[in-house]
Amino acid sequence: MRLRLLLAIPVFCVALWGQDSALKETFLQAKTLWATQGDREGATTRFDSVVASLTSQQATLEPEWIQVLCESYNWLAVLDDRSAQNRPRAQVRLQALMELNPDFELDRALTSQRLLALYDRMKGEKFALVKLAYLPEGGRLLVDGKPTSLLPRRFLPFGLHKLSYSRPGYAGSEVTLELGPRDVKAADFKLTRTASTITLYVQPRDTEVLLDGQSIGFAIGQAGENAASLALPLGLRPEDLSAPFVIPELLPGKHRLELRCACFRTKILELGEDLATPATDHTLEPIRLEPSRGSVSISSAWSGGELFLSGQSRGLLPLADLPVCSGTYDLLVVFPAGGFSRRITVEDGKSLAIEAKPKPRLVFLGLEGGEFTGRSRFLSQLEALGERLPTLAFQAARAGETPGDALVRLKASREAELFLMAKPVQDKVIHRVELVLSTLEGEEERILVKPLEQDPLGALAVRINHLPLIQRPGLGATLLDVPGQPGPWVLAASEACFKAGLQPGRPIIKAQGKVVGTVLELQELLGTAKGPISVDQGGGIMNLPVQMEGLEIPLGASDLCYPALLAHLRLLQAGTKGEEATLIKLNVALALMQFRKYDKAIELLRDARLSIGRGVSQGTLDFHTGRCFIHLGASYQSEAVQAFRQALKYPQATLQGPDGPLVAPMARQALEDLK
Amino acid sequence: MFVLSSWFRPSAALLCVLPALAQTPDGDLAERLYRSGERAYSAKAYKEALDTWSQLLQADPKSEFAPMALLRLARHQVEIEHNPDGAMPILDRLRSEYIKSPEAPEGLLLRGVLLAKQARRPTELKDAMAEFNRILDLFPDAAACGEAHFQLGLAWRDQGQWGRALQQFVDAFRLHSGSAVVPQAMLEAAETLDLMGDLPGCLQMLQRLRAEAPQSPQAQEAAWRMAVRVKHRLQKPPLKSEGAWPVGRTKWLKTPTLLSLAPDGDLLIFQNDLDRTFRLHEEVLTPVGPPASGTRALTSVPGSVWMLTKTGLMRAEAIAPQPLGTLAAISGAVLDRWGNLWVADAKTPALTVFAPNWASRTIASPTANALAPLPTGGVAIAADADRKLLFLDTEGQPRTIIPYGKDLPAPFRYVTALAADGAGHLAALVDGGDFGEGVVIYGPDGTVLRQATFKALGITGRITSLALDHSGGVILCDRRNDLLLRLN
Repeated sequence: MRLRLLLAIPVFCVALWGQDSALKETFLQAKTLWATQGDREGATTRFDSVVASLTSQQATLEPEWIQVLCESYNWLAVLDDRSAQNRPRAQVRLQALMELNPDFELDRALTSQRLLALYDRMKGEKFALVKLAYLPEGGRLLVDGKPTSLLPRRFLPFGLHKLSYSRPGYAGSEVTLELGPRDVKAADFKLTRTASTITLYVQPRDTEVLLDGQSIGFAIGQAGENAASLALPLGLRPEDLSAPFVIPELLPGKHRLELRCACFRTKILELGEDLATPATDHTLEPIRLEPSRGSVSISSAWSGGELFLSGQSRGLLPLADLPVCSGTYDLLVVFPAGGFSRRITVEDGKSLAIEAKPKPRLVFLGLEGGEFTGRSRFLSQLEALGERLPTLAFQAARAGETPGDALVRLKASREAELFLMAKPVQDKVIHRVELVLSTLEGEEERILVKPLEQDPLGALAVRINHLPLIQRPGLGATLLDVPGQPGPWVLAASEACFKAGLQPGRPIIKAQGKVVGTVLELQELLGTAKGPISVDQGGGIMNLPVQMEGLEIPLGASDLCYPALLAHLRLLQAGTKGEEATLIKLNVALALMQFRKYDKAIELLRDARLSIGRGVSQGTLDFHTGRCFIHLGASYQSEAVQAFRQALKYPQATLQGPDGPLVAPMARQALEDLK
Repeated sequence: MFVLSSWFRPSAALLCVLPALAQTPDGDLAERLYRSGERAYSAKAYKEALDTWSQLLQADPKSEFAPMALLRLARHQVEIEHNPDGAMPILDRLRSEYIKSPEAPEGLLLRGVLLAKQARRPTELKDAMAEFNRILDLFPDAAACGEAHFQLGLAWRDQGQWGRALQQFVDAFRLHSGSAVVPQAMLEAAETLDLMGDLPGCLQMLQRLRAEAPQSPQAQEAAWRMAVRVKHRLQKPPLKSEGAWPVGRTKWLKTPTLLSLAPDGDLLIFQNDLDRTFRLHEEVLTPVGPPASGTRALTSVPGSVWMLTKTGLMRAEAIAPQPLGTLAAISGAVLDRWGNLWVADAKTPALTVFAPNWASRTIASPTANALAPLPTGGVAIAADADRKLLFLDTEGQPRTIIPYGKDLPAPFRYVTALAADGAGHLAALVDGGDFGEGVVIYGPDGTVLRQATFKALGITGRITSLALDHSGGVILCDRRNDLLLRLN
């Protein structure tokens, strides 16, 4: 549809241009018919058609066409006056002419003395003459607040008129005239100089001009031929420059002129005091801005992303060294599932590399009907919820679309991963609103909020933004905060740590050269470590390998929003491979268990494989598989038994995390219960 | 002038208000009555609140506020009146008439907890467990589910089913991580792991509890439980005498003869010359319980100290001593989870168990010279005649038998006293034989963890009792020198 509209614009322009030239041709033909062939009828018909065509758009006519219209009225009055039958119409033509432009001078070579006298008499009945003088010239005249051309004489209707004349660098002048029949009044404008002016021509056009850090406008338009003397010495054409941009009042002192334009280097000029004092008009040499470009590289572990920079598509990811004008952009990567957005600033000559990781898209579908106190405030809070959700890409549904329709459309198009709908609870007086947050796959959470609360959505926003870790760095050792010990006490160590020298039964006193008093302090250091960590147990420093250890998301946690968490995990899963992907898969399955979708969880778990045998590992997957089968009922008992037997093969497997309870005793008990 | 009694006034006021309230729609009336009851209850005007809620139940039993009122009434019976029997019919009504209400799971939970408290033996837990399972089956999304798992864990543990107990405790904190029961469930899971012989698992769980709920009372509990386990079972430093304890306090007691540890960790000291038991809290002695001349055994429950004398059981809440039958040489006493009092008598070849209703039964056993509780719910006894320590289960059946002197450089002949710390450690005050007078600390499986003779420690007093403290030390009671000693 948009394409059709775009195509229509040039066609329309061509038609207008064609229409204008035809009208001009008609106008010239009319003049020729009378002047060379004396064909009064033919000339009248053509002038009439010109008049008919232009009067319909009189309010928007350009000065050139107003002139054509005035001349046409003049000609028609003359032609009508030559025919006895049409003579009364001549006065009507003159009346129309006078209303259109009372300052228009009838062509004395063409018009009879009688008609001239008639026109003067008609004007004298409604208009008075004002003689105008301007010093200096080149300013701007306003008559009753409307800009008008600088003529030496003006006919103005009877009554009170305010004329004001101004020019940059001068104090403006104002005259009020009371005009009556046969009045001829004069208005002499003599302006007093107050400040210097600076006139700029800039290449390129559309450059923002800032004076002393304040934006004072944009250098727009195109310079005329009068700028040729400035443009040509620089090897430019006048039309390459902007129209003159005038800084109207340069106060005494030094100034800083700054010119900014997208894709060009910002130019800064220091204006000396001599430009401001004495006050005079200055025209600077044309200012050329140098092109400014940087580059952007966007990659993603997720496939199918399309890059948009400030709304313009720039192609599919990955994109390496994409040349981009320097400036600030709203970067958006649209993935088949999820979106990534960020505001970026591309600097001149610099490269920007971004790893795009999709965020779930949450669409607020709307607030269903039902009037209640505070509805508009609550609705605006819902609409602004996205500002509080940095972990999601927040969108609103289309205007005018009902929540139900929007949900159907978005589910069909899979344009979002999460949906939020608000429904007032229909009590006698509505004091509660139910918020339904659901995933594309239908897992949902219902929350009751009180719209008159100070911040009814605060708790929800906090929960949505809370994303638990599913991995954390660890040493592969079991550490305890034993009262009386100077640091984390080593209960057990992995083979790697043992080989590196870590001794169970002794505390760790220092890590990375810092004294560590508790397990938490050591965990914090591990979080910042890149590579092995140096540890001291009082007998010399040893370097211990740091490895990522799997974690399970907490279930039944009141501080988590499970639909949002599930959407995050699903996106994360799509962009990861190997063991990490399996770990995410396990957590997706756990989130599905939270919604009691045990069959879906089994689907994920049964083919998942983790090579590690300690902590959250293969035994953990098998144990959860067994638990899911138990939930599916007695018909899956043998599968449950098989899964628990598998779990028993991993005696070091744990639940929740590396320091969680062992799977084995739980699996053993489950098998016992299944006997 | 006729004046309404203060008891009658709220009811009368309510009757005056009711006609006005009755003009409002039923739903409104029920809500207003409920809120009015809430207001009165929060002002501790219990009678007014209970009357208002009862009126609600009468006026609009189908209202959504009716089950809410029932639950409040039941809670009042339990929490304020301390009358669980009064709560049961209310909870029965909530269960039978309002099973679909949002209050039903909480009502079932309360009912289950009360039934579990009433149980006097493992088989009586069946009804309570049925209530907890009902919550999980019928209301899987209810907030009460975490607590239901936890209560099921306790019930399984009380039946000696450690594996099932662990499963429920783990489910309580794993599937309901937002529940308030999480710290308690983690603590119980840790203790259950220890009972199952998984010391590393127990320690890791205690560490997690301290990391995840550091401000909870359970974290404080976890800290000392971890400390004593690491010290006694893993570090096992040789016992050393720290001398008088508290430091510098000598001749400050009047013939202390018995020591015991209260549930909160404070030391209880019976001073024979004063015929009283004292609580030592932050170095300040405070008398507890009535005077009890010739006390032979001490035990305690939260808020009460039980002293066993020749004349019977003395406790603060009893007017007169409760007779202990023919038991004349009491050598130890333990209160179990069911409220039964186990009594050992040095001249009786059996243990006598007094039920809460004071009905007694005997359990076949060698003559016990000392008695101490075990975390399994059973007891440990010292049988000098057989020269054995026996770890008995809840039915009195021996599960572990440790000959006197096993794992020691030389055997001893007598056990003067036994003490437990609630974390699976048992300390024996021993005498005789080649070992002589000293202290032996045993682990949950009967392994000797730490030991020392008084000769080696340089202790010369007359030690009559001992206690294991929460820092991994042993407190000894020296009646000759009127002081306490600490071994570390």
